[in-house]
Amino acid sequence: MDRIARAEVADMEGVGALPRRSGELIFHDQWECRAFALGVALHEQGEFIWDDFRQHLIASISADDKTSEIIDPSGPGYYEHWLAALEKMLIEKSLITSSKDLVL
Amino acid sequence: MAEKHQHDAPPSPYLEKRRTAAETEALEERVRRLEHLLTEKGIVSKKTLDRVVSIYENDLGPLNGAKVVARAWVDEAYRQRLLADATKAIKELGFGGLQGEHMVVVENAATVHNIVACTLCSCYPWPVLGLPPTWYKNPPYRSRIAIDPRGVLVEFGLELDDSIEVRVWDSSAEIRYLVLPERPQGTEGFSEEELAALVTRDSMIGVARINSPS
Repeated sequence: MDRIARAEVADMEGVGALPRRSGELIFHDQWECRAFALGVALHEQGEFIWDDFRQHLIASISADDKTSEIIDPSGPGYYEHWLAALEKMLIEKSLITSSKDLVL
Repeated sequence: MAEKHQHDAPPSPYLEKRRTAAETEALEERVRRLEHLLTEKGIVSKKTLDRVVSIYENDLGPLNGAKVVARAWVDEAYRQRLLADATKAIKELGFGGLQGEHMVVVENAATVHNIVACTLCSCYPWPVLGLPPTWYKNPPYRSRIAIDPRGVLVEFGLELDDSIEVRVWDSSAEIRYLVLPERPQGTEGFSEEELAALVTRDSMIGVARINSPS
């Protein structure tokens, strides 16, 4: 794995841009951090193409009528969409069988 | 973005939790489940996940500051402007967010090592360094750095030769310091972006040096 953050991940712009402050990633809860790591690790291992994931992420954010514009990175909200996009991506790639597997 | 806390460290607006405990728990469970499924199948390891987090936290943390340092390394005229008036020079690169505090950049050299602290509270040049690390705000660092800087540095894994003069800069509401670390050897021919990627947060606080790229 690369020692350095991947540009396609770090430099996403617009709707899907990572919540950052002064460059630093913002995580409100530990699970956000874990979800972030899962998405990036699987991408870096070549399990999916980053742009496909990004499109899912953008679609999820755009479909949420509570956030018509870019999500305020100072508040929570972004990683709910990240998680939804990740689940969708993994189902598409058959890495998990169905979203039902994921819900208790 | 709301900028209510520009005057000092900005953690409160983004540590504010707007999810209910039940929502958080449900999300936690979802991620745990996903992680479990993927690690069980051997698709991803916990070690890899931890590495990703640490890489992205370190790499993306002090981005603005790293750009300032890299520019100073490649552009001698910028370096001089930075040392003469850091507030202005940092603004040149588009990094603002300070409200009346002055930025002062202190330069490391073969014979001088600078460390930044805030012995009174936790003043920190956050527009260039992001959020302060926990230890920066903790009393052990704040009180001991002034009394025994060399000892503290050893705990960070940095042993300085006795011939090197150690200077501790105490930040305040008015002045925020940033260390300009020495450019590591073996980086001749590196682009500004490549150099910026080498610059760590800790090196700009002065508790670490930048290692030569292997």
